[in-house]
Amino acid sequence: MIEGLDVIWRNLPFLMIQGFLGFGKFVGGTVRLAIPSIVLGFILGIFIGIGRLAPRWWIRLPATLYVEFFRGVPLVMVIFWMWFIIPIVLRTGIPEFGVALTAFVIFEAAYLGEIVRAGIQSVARGQVEAATAVGLSGAQSMRYVVLPQALKNMIPSLVTQFIVLFKDTSLASIIGFMDLTKAAQVVNNREVRPFALYSFIAVVYWICAYSMSRYARHLEKRLSPTSS
Amino acid sequence: MNYRFDWSVLWKGQSGEWLWLGLITTLGLSALAWLLAVLLGILSGALRTVPFRPLRALATAYVEFFRNVPLLVWMFFWYFGVPPFLPQGLQDWLFDHGLEFWAGVTALGVYSGARFSEVLRSGIQSIPRTQFEASVASGLSTFQAYRYVILPVALRLIIPPATNESLNLLKNSSVALTISVAELTFQTRQIETYTAKAIEALTAGTVIYLVLCVSLASVMGWVERRVAIPGLIAGGRRPRRGRG
Amino acid sequence: MKKLIALTLALALVIGGVAPALAETTLEKIARTETLTIGTRTGSPPFAYVNAKNEWVGFSIDLVEQLVLPAISQKIGKPIKLEKKESTPPTRIPLLTSNAVDLIAGTMTDTRARRDSVDFSITFFVTGAQFLVKKGSPIKGIKNIDGKRIAAQQGSTNARIIREKAPKAQLREFPDQPAAFQALLQGQVDAYTNDGIQLVGLKLKAPNPAQWEVVGDFYSYEPYGMAMRRNEADFRNLVNNGLMDGIESGKYFEIYDKWFGPKGELPYPMTAAVRQFMIYQVVPK
Repeated sequence: MIEGLDVIWRNLPFLMIQGFLGFGKFVGGTVRLAIPSIVLGFILGIFIGIGRLAPRWWIRLPATLYVEFFRGVPLVMVIFWMWFIIPIVLRTGIPEFGVALTAFVIFEAAYLGEIVRAGIQSVARGQVEAATAVGLSGAQSMRYVVLPQALKNMIPSLVTQFIVLFKDTSLASIIGFMDLTKAAQVVNNREVRPFALYSFIAVVYWICAYSMSRYARHLEKRLSPTSS
Repeated sequence: MNYRFDWSVLWKGQSGEWLWLGLITTLGLSALAWLLAVLLGILSGALRTVPFRPLRALATAYVEFFRNVPLLVWMFFWYFGVPPFLPQGLQDWLFDHGLEFWAGVTALGVYSGARFSEVLRSGIQSIPRTQFEASVASGLSTFQAYRYVILPVALRLIIPPATNESLNLLKNSSVALTISVAELTFQTRQIETYTAKAIEALTAGTVIYLVLCVSLASVMGWVERRVAIPGLIAGGRRPRRGRG
Repeated sequence: MKKLIALTLALALVIGGVAPALAETTLEKIARTETLTIGTRTGSPPFAYVNAKNEWVGFSIDLVEQLVLPAISQKIGKPIKLEKKESTPPTRIPLLTSNAVDLIAGTMTDTRARRDSVDFSITFFVTGAQFLVKKGSPIKGIKNIDGKRIAAQQGSTNARIIREKAPKAQLREFPDQPAAFQALLQGQVDAYTNDGIQLVGLKLKAPNPAQWEVVGDFYSYEPYGMAMRRNEADFRNLVNNGLMDGIESGKYFEIYDKWFGPKGELPYPMTAAVRQFMIYQVVPK
């Protein structure tokens, strides 16, 4: 038990600064991957979500296909796809960070798109009608009336999805991205103390995810009296 | 592009056999894990809503403990972390009888059970409290109220989000390749390492997953229509489909 | 059903659209990006691994840095950076063919089957496949592994040979060495098979080296070479020249000594036969 703790203590900088945060000689970092993924994924997700509700079929169909496709394949598969396709398309290799980021953004955008769609649909129809009555165009009413309210409704679900994405970053370790899980594997390969190391990273993940889910619940309570 | 397409690798040699084995393994792994997850999910989901604190706390602890750690870490845990604590005889038996498969089933089932639990809990909570009160007023015990009134309705209500979680379970089974379970994604890689034809191999695997998911979603849709209680439209908003 | 057809069509379109791309030679790419990207291992001491100071080092990496890279820099006329990416047996060849890396420098065995997909440099190390077992295990070689659980890395030549020569053995393939070795340490498998030199390296780094032993005659001959894309004669000659110059000048043997000499990470003396073989690989200028 003591040797286990000792191993963690000795390798703490590598595990936390390189693996968790992402600063160091290797391309990695759980947090460094998670944050851009959620931001970019959300932006793409907004387009997908709105696209799903578009009146024109040539916008609606691709958006729907996109969502249905990525919800039908495992994230591991998408990561492998990106790993092989990107270098062919770009004609050069890119760091695992780029591969992982692209895979996560594209994959999560499908789910975030659904959250956006549900958020938009939860805004009372009366709002849209009032906006049109006041003279706003479709795009304007979306931008100034519907989206702001939709966003407020979406926040708890968004936080939940971020928690999911945060945990999913561990899969990037399969392609060698030096996140917290990979860092633990690398240290384990040398020290061979799996129980101590995996317990440690489980605790780190747990603390992060649990705090975020408490925050999500707090948000949900705060926002629910005002939702339509 | 330095890539020569050769789709025949998918049926020449052992590729077809491997894909088939991978499919069977994925289905077996997912089915067993699903049974475990549904069992744990119903149990803990229901327990989280009963008016009895210690049971609620226990069920909540289960959910929060397993839900917040990535599945990959659980895979390593059940495969590497747990066996050393088992009696030697059981260990040896497991080693000889596909430990990696059972560790995969356990990891996937327990993890997904925590997620099913949440789905069921929201389902139960969206049923008006009056239903429960009326049952108790008519003389049913808490257990009977759940068994005959609350759960039948809740289980029907949650079919859409439960379908979603079931699909997640099927897709998450791919993580088991890290502990050497020869499931479908593993076999896609296997074909690729023997033939070096990545795109062909990946396409085969992807198409199979798509077929599985679309089929499962259709089946669940049929089930939902089949067991629907006439006139029962959910009182609140439709449960949102997401990857919570 | 309609959804499925639409999805498959969409998938086919995407793949078809990726098809054409202009062909740039490896040397042109290196000159353009001023970087040589190599695929190498992170868990194969002492060829390529992460040491106690969490640096990515190893014998193969040194060979590239000190023998190959200077040759390339000299030819191109400007300093070239070295970038390392992790590659494992399943990913090595795809990483090369998809241009993600230019050279695989780790523990890759040169085989005729592989030469259908990639080209190899001259041999830079010689070993053979064996088994790592707990001391006292009944396993003594490939002849008596029937029914036993054997761990290997997915995609390695060892896995393939075991499948062919010992089909009754229960093969368990893992994505990488750490997981496979862990399975051996804890008993989930009876033996781990890999090239002898790597097993010796793993054994020395185990918590209790005396508990483990490397057994069995070489059931395969494993000459390690550096792999690169096919039909790139210029690049290949450059890599080979770098290696040959190193052997001729003695630098290669110095690097060998650093890792495998008596004071090295993993003492593994070079036999006279192997030394002669290395010297004979150097063709006259």
